[in-house]
Amino acid sequence: MTDKAHDNLMVIEAARYISDGDVVLVGTGLPMVASLFAQKNHAPNMCYVVESGLIGPEVIPTPVSVSDPRVMNKAINHGTLISALGEILHRGLADVGFISGAQIDQFANVNSTVIGDYNNPKVRLPGSGGANDIATHSRRILIIARHEKRRFPERCDYITSPGYIDGPDGRKKAGLRVYDPDINVITDQCVFEIDKKTGKLFLAKIMPGVTIEDVKNNTGFEIIVLNNGPEIVLQPTQNEISLLNNQIDPTGVYLKH
Amino acid sequence: MGRKFIEKVMSANEAVEQFIPSGSVLGIGGQTIGRCSMALAHEVVRQNKKNLIIVGCSMSISMDLMVGAGLVSRTECGTGNVESFGATMRWRRAIEEGKLEVRDFSHLAMAFRFLAGSLGLPFIPTKSMLGTDLISDAYSNSDSFIIMDNPWENSDPVVLLRALNPDVSIIHAQKADKFGNVVIEGFKTHEIEMAKASRSVIVTCEEIIDSDEIRSDPSLTSIPYIYVDAVVLQKWGGYPTSVYRYYVHDTNHISLYQKVAREGGLEYQKYLDEYIYGCRNFDEYLSKVLDTSSKNSLIQEMDDLL
Repeated sequence: MTDKAHDNLMVIEAARYISDGDVVLVGTGLPMVASLFAQKNHAPNMCYVVESGLIGPEVIPTPVSVSDPRVMNKAINHGTLISALGEILHRGLADVGFISGAQIDQFANVNSTVIGDYNNPKVRLPGSGGANDIATHSRRILIIARHEKRRFPERCDYITSPGYIDGPDGRKKAGLRVYDPDINVITDQCVFEIDKKTGKLFLAKIMPGVTIEDVKNNTGFEIIVLNNGPEIVLQPTQNEISLLNNQIDPTGVYLKH
Repeated sequence: MGRKFIEKVMSANEAVEQFIPSGSVLGIGGQTIGRCSMALAHEVVRQNKKNLIIVGCSMSISMDLMVGAGLVSRTECGTGNVESFGATMRWRRAIEEGKLEVRDFSHLAMAFRFLAGSLGLPFIPTKSMLGTDLISDAYSNSDSFIIMDNPWENSDPVVLLRALNPDVSIIHAQKADKFGNVVIEGFKTHEIEMAKASRSVIVTCEEIIDSDEIRSDPSLTSIPYIYVDAVVLQKWGGYPTSVYRYYVHDTNHISLYQKVAREGGLEYQKYLDEYIYGCRNFDEYLSKVLDTSSKNSLIQEMDDLL
């Protein structure tokens, strides 16, 4: 498979973790495009929620921002940040929270704030936005990011959004109400999943044509393989590819073209 | 304090002069490419209001302009972000160079701080940010929260967030009447709580509507006049960001801004000179960047989405 094919399959595979009817708190970037794909492909009754207060829109492709008017289309409510992140998410009504990030570590903690020391940054990133809230309160967490070694360090330079923090009881000790969520990290090489016994990510699936060795070489933390080893990510159908490339992101705002 | 039922229509120049002194804690509305308070941000830069503390949730190019012009000593927010167009580059560089103090929170935490402020509460609890570096004692936001136990449950920590009452907030809305009853359409993000928490509020709007229209459907009023001090009629006042039902964002001009903001130095200074210092007001800037046909196409693109 080409890079472009892996890139497409990353989005399609991530969308497969969204079921029809799910209430999904959608973060900016790749989560927007994968959630949009889910809505148009197999989850027409998902409730797409974005932090600016837009609830249940039928999103018009291709939004470039969570405040894009394309995300306001046929919504059931144009509310406030508190309606979305407060009354739905903090209230405990989000089935799925979907974010991306600059660093993701072995406990699925996510950094979107800073590379280097916070008080003396090498690179300053945008910051939490709603990502901390989404990773804290959603019942299931999806994280999507392109695979690069520096993106997957053993430990994030700064924890913006909580995964399992430092181990199986990390969330419980910190006082998070959702203390043992399913977490999946979907990349263009593989899918990691949280092992609730250790609080660490293990290699659950790999993309067609990618080897465990490839993933090891491109990841900064130890690759854990359980039992029978990783499954192979299901190949996309022609319809899925066509929907993604012709309707969801035809000009390559998010995807490699 | 806008508490009176009087006419409040004035120019952006007058409103900024009267309500935004240097050193203000300034709340800003809008989000990334949507409904940013651009006309007022330009006016703040033109009047060279200094030592501002800018507060908000998702802060975009309106904030970046004020940082880029060297007017900001601190930001408190959830993000500096123009999403698909990149980071807010002047803000990013100022932090990297140690020239700007920054206090990070999650978006909900910022909205809760405004909510507490709007209710007259001194603080508000949240379960966000627990277990992360957003509540590390090592960082400068640590005077704005404490962690304590829920008094009614064992082992249930909560983060108490200090209320935030900005000195003044700036918001661009679709409509307002001359008394300051404001109608915001589309997303409303943190703006309603922020406005209600603020000591003063300046609203620019695409249209000034008759008060009878407000009273004919009061459920559409986003912010009652009680909170508002100044109403400025400014068509295209959110440009180059989008204003729902009126026009979409201008990809070309946002990209131009991002290019000079990334570059910094002389290129950035030239942008400020050409489009802000060299303009008497926002309309003069608009006349430099938008002709009738580009206006029409941004309006048409929005119409097609409705």
